[in-house]
Amino acid sequence: MKSIYSITNDFKNKFLRLGFPWVPASTPKGVDSRVKNNSLGASYDTEWARRPAARLARAVIVETLMRPVMSLLATPTRKGLDRLEHLEGPAIFAANHQSHADTPLLITSIPEPWRHELVIGAAADYFFNTKATSAISALAIGAVPIDRTKVSRQSGDMISELIGQGWSLLIYPEGGRSPDGWGQPFRGGAAYLAIRCGVPVVPIHISGTGKILRKGRNLPRRSKSTITFGYPMEPENDENARSFSTRIEKEVRSLADETASSWWDARQRSYRDSSPSLTGPEIGAWRRSWALSDNDGKTRKRRRRWPVL
Amino acid sequence: MKALRFKRNIPRYAAAKIAGNIMPGSGASFGPIDLIQEESSKTPGKDWVRVRPRLSGICGSDLATVDGKSARYFEPLVSFPFTPGHEVVGDLDDDSRVVLEPVLSCASRNISPPCSPCSEGKIGNCENVTLGEISSGIQTGSCHDTGGGWATEFYAHPSQLHSVPDGFSDEAAVMVEPTACGVHAALAAELPDEGVVAILGSGTLGQVTISALRHFTKPKTIISTARYPEQKKMAAQLGSDIVVNPEEIHRAVRRACGTKAITNVSEKAPDGRVDRLTGGADVVIDCVGSSKSISDALSITKPNGKVVLVGMPATVELELTPLWHRELQLIGAYTYGTERLPDGKTTSTFDLAFELVKTAKLEELVSACYSLDDYQEALKHAANAGARGAFKIVFDLRDERERYIK
Amino acid sequence: MNTNDKETSRPSPRPGFVLDVDRNTPPIVFHHGENFRLEKLPPGRSRVVYPSEPLEGLPDPEGAIKEALLNPLGDSDPLPSLLKPGMKLTIAFDDISLPLPPMRKPDIRQRIIEAVLDMAAEAGVDDVHLIAALALHRRMTEDELRHAVGDRVYDSFAPKGLLYNLDAEDPEGMVVLGETPHGEEVHFCRRAAESDLLIYVNINLVSMDGGHKSTATGLAGYTGLRHHHNVHTLRNSKSIMDRENSALHASNWRMGDVIKDAGVKIFQIETTVNNNTFGREGPLALLQKREWEWSARDRGQFIAMQRGLDLLPVKAKRRIFGGWQSPYELTSVQAGEVEAVHKKTIENVYAQQLVTVEGQTDILTMGLPYICPYNVNSIMNPILVMCLGLGYFFNLYKGKPLVREGGVLIMSHPTPWEFHPVHHPSYIDFFEQVLSETTDPIEIEKKYEKQFAEDEWYIHLYRNSYAYHGVHPLYMWYWGSHAMQHLGRIIIVGGDQKAVRRLGFQSASTLQDALEIASDVVGPQPTITHLKNPPLVMADVI
Repeated sequence: MKSIYSITNDFKNKFLRLGFPWVPASTPKGVDSRVKNNSLGASYDTEWARRPAARLARAVIVETLMRPVMSLLATPTRKGLDRLEHLEGPAIFAANHQSHADTPLLITSIPEPWRHELVIGAAADYFFNTKATSAISALAIGAVPIDRTKVSRQSGDMISELIGQGWSLLIYPEGGRSPDGWGQPFRGGAAYLAIRCGVPVVPIHISGTGKILRKGRNLPRRSKSTITFGYPMEPENDENARSFSTRIEKEVRSLADETASSWWDARQRSYRDSSPSLTGPEIGAWRRSWALSDNDGKTRKRRRRWPVL
Repeated sequence: MKALRFKRNIPRYAAAKIAGNIMPGSGASFGPIDLIQEESSKTPGKDWVRVRPRLSGICGSDLATVDGKSARYFEPLVSFPFTPGHEVVGDLDDDSRVVLEPVLSCASRNISPPCSPCSEGKIGNCENVTLGEISSGIQTGSCHDTGGGWATEFYAHPSQLHSVPDGFSDEAAVMVEPTACGVHAALAAELPDEGVVAILGSGTLGQVTISALRHFTKPKTIISTARYPEQKKMAAQLGSDIVVNPEEIHRAVRRACGTKAITNVSEKAPDGRVDRLTGGADVVIDCVGSSKSISDALSITKPNGKVVLVGMPATVELELTPLWHRELQLIGAYTYGTERLPDGKTTSTFDLAFELVKTAKLEELVSACYSLDDYQEALKHAANAGARGAFKIVFDLRDERERYIK
Repeated sequence: MNTNDKETSRPSPRPGFVLDVDRNTPPIVFHHGENFRLEKLPPGRSRVVYPSEPLEGLPDPEGAIKEALLNPLGDSDPLPSLLKPGMKLTIAFDDISLPLPPMRKPDIRQRIIEAVLDMAAEAGVDDVHLIAALALHRRMTEDELRHAVGDRVYDSFAPKGLLYNLDAEDPEGMVVLGETPHGEEVHFCRRAAESDLLIYVNINLVSMDGGHKSTATGLAGYTGLRHHHNVHTLRNSKSIMDRENSALHASNWRMGDVIKDAGVKIFQIETTVNNNTFGREGPLALLQKREWEWSARDRGQFIAMQRGLDLLPVKAKRRIFGGWQSPYELTSVQAGEVEAVHKKTIENVYAQQLVTVEGQTDILTMGLPYICPYNVNSIMNPILVMCLGLGYFFNLYKGKPLVREGGVLIMSHPTPWEFHPVHHPSYIDFFEQVLSETTDPIEIEKKYEKQFAEDEWYIHLYRNSYAYHGVHPLYMWYWGSHAMQHLGRIIIVGGDQKAVRRLGFQSASTLQDALEIASDVVGPQPTITHLKNPPLVMADVI
């Protein structure tokens, strides 16, 4: 049986094949186009999604849809929530990023009062490239568009304004889902925003979701996951975004270590600056995969699908 | 002998007329014409000789007869049943080749003294076509007693025969009779030197008329109408200066004569139509014979000019006000006889036709040959000759078995 | 106030440019008579020359006109000091062929003529004639004259017979002023020649217009025109849009000297308009937008328009398009001595239209719109299709032609075998008789020019009806003679096959077929340049 997904995809492809003028023409290379698609991408205005009606709708979606689905798919274990006890006011939650499952998982894991006053930094070019995806992202997860390709004042201004209004931000400093299961180096955005707005950063490590909806997969698999919260981190005096960012990355690495081993071992390694790297060894692609598959206990079972004749 | 026989049969006339209206030439399949095999007929008189046709042409008037479009006018002038065919080259019993001059005038009817046109050599105008020793019939091919060219044999009076010079192909010889019609029309028009002449219609008759005008008169411009590319090409080859589509003839004549058209120039409702000219051509020769073509002819002839009808018109509907107002002459041109050339000499039309066929290579107009058995196909081809890129369609009787039976 | 705000908030217009076509380039909109085609050009070897966006119009046209009249260019006094009581004043103005499409009211001519007449009235000038300088074009109707000069001017002058169309076949009304050193007779409107001051009001839509050509051509008849409206001159005008390299203009300039020497005092007023041919908003606005900047609404509108036009009978389409009036805006006005004025005008025309293009191409493609200079309120017949493509668009170059010598020109137009019997009577004859015989401009000139020029019926219709002069279709053919000589093959896409064949061109049902046919001449993998015009663009080929 054809899934709804493939039917809509067929329809979409057929429509796209009609070409211009049924679908918009892409701006030719090297041509400066005046008509930026004002309403999409980084300039998409998500203001409507923070109005009471939308927030109510989002709360309903989160509690009735996401939470049961995530507990079924990811069976999350949440650790370190006690570390947020003294946190007050808005904060920036910074997590590693392996899968689309990360966001619903975190939305259902970040405790009140932040959970329902949370916006999520989402790639403008991915989540906000059409009107439909923009609307869904903004409504369902409270996404706000962030330009990941370039430093844009637009995104920064908008987010610091939101933080100023008391909203917290969930952001993935890696800038996107891991392509191969290993993490990517942290970018400075979260640290920059924390310094700019004077709010703490809460480091979070998520493990296990890579198998649920890894990059390149469209159908989710079940897998156990663990979410570990770290102590809120304040930028030190005169600390710049770059070094603060390095500290955040180090903390997340240590949380990962804690998940994999024990708190004590992880602390020790953290102070010795020898927490296992999240980004994996600087080696060839296949060896990176090899190194990762080491801690995958199960062999992959995939039903062979013959074409239906 | 084998012959195509046309019988008097009213229901079949009607059928032919209906069929012919739907598809020209198809009257042959429904109409009063049949292919017959019978005993050789008797000679109509003591001087008459047997002719075994070699090629026998299909003429526009034959087609009109086949399709039941022929005027009732002819009924008393013919004798049923008859075998059509008057454009004939054939063999005499001594195997010499002859061309038939088909008019059945006083001489062939053994009427003496001849009527006054016959005595002047204008045999086409003979006043005695219903009298004399043989039955009614204006030409061989409409007279019961003589038989006609669409057969393996018929009888001709020696006065009707012209021997074919050596070096003349059968195709050239069969073109002599139609060419004579064109020559007669061209000379009947009495075109002034440096005059402008328009020929409407580019079938065989139009083509030979163009050729005759080019050879025997001194026009400034010959304009002709043609619908099909082959016709246009041939008209230009035979001497037409300007060849246009039939609907373009008014403009073409206006241009060539430098005359004006009668057009409204008022600011409220200016029109740019060119359907009536203030002046026009000196002579217009109509080789079509329809209401449309004769109306066109009347509208493009200059005042006091002449319109010559060569195509057989039958019944037409005409507005004759221009004829009256512009004092036009509307004349007919039927067959041939004796011509007075512009230089004053007189000579027989057939002699001029022989000359013209030779110099203008008019045998090229013979486009296709059919056996008598395929007469239905042949008549359809002839009826649609223009569209099918053809001019003259002929029956080829040279291989008919009956021809060689004594 | 509101509109002003809008104007100032509009981003500054972008210049035209050359787009290199790659796989992602959308299909390009081609004009196609009273409809449009979307054509995908082969990637990697095609380019599209896009016109500039419309420049900003002058905020105060009346003020600018007055300013120009008071501060003339070159060796000329301000207009008021040229106007004296008791003088003979003639104002000549461009006819229906400019601008294209006709502009929305008020027409520039009206604005200028009113300003000029105002000064003349102040100076006490009584003897004023206004003449539509149409040379051998058709006469303008009352409605058309009213549109051009406005009701105030029309009602003041026309009823008294002081506003009229030039009659270049009136033996009394025309005069030969002399000959140029090249032996060219200078044929001129007698009233203009005998006036104390001749004021010419131009709309310089393209760089060909204006200069001495305004008067030397606009107020002349066959006697004068035949010296430069001929195959030899036009083949040596490379191009007619480039004054410095145009034999046509050289001849007109020589005639201009003769006119000056004959004592005719000319006060030239030239104006330029912007590229706002189809409007910044409205049903046709998308035609001056770049395809990738079309909004969803533009795209929907285009689809609906194209489908709708397909369903409409051609007469209805003509009525719809014929009703379009362009919201052109005045970008400059200059007045004074002819040559100084024209120099400035050319600069202003180029500022709007000139786009630099590197190198020639094997195949030039163009989409021909529904209108050309000679079918306003009329029918674009096959000869006019030829003239618009080969005579005008091909010549929209400076330097060298966009297409190499021996290259191929592909134009898109329905090219119907249809003529306006009132406006183009001699065109019908030309098409029926002349072109069925030959399409060689030299032979046509030799054999037919005299006949068509002197045909009394055509002259009668030119003078009394609304017909282009008898010789005009031949001029159309000469206009294309440079292109015909330069090109290896000419193909019309989507045209009436018989009509296209009569023109001596080849017809193709699609652009792909046309490119296939073209490859016989230019080989496989030819380079292609599409001139995306109109809005007008002129190529500076380097």
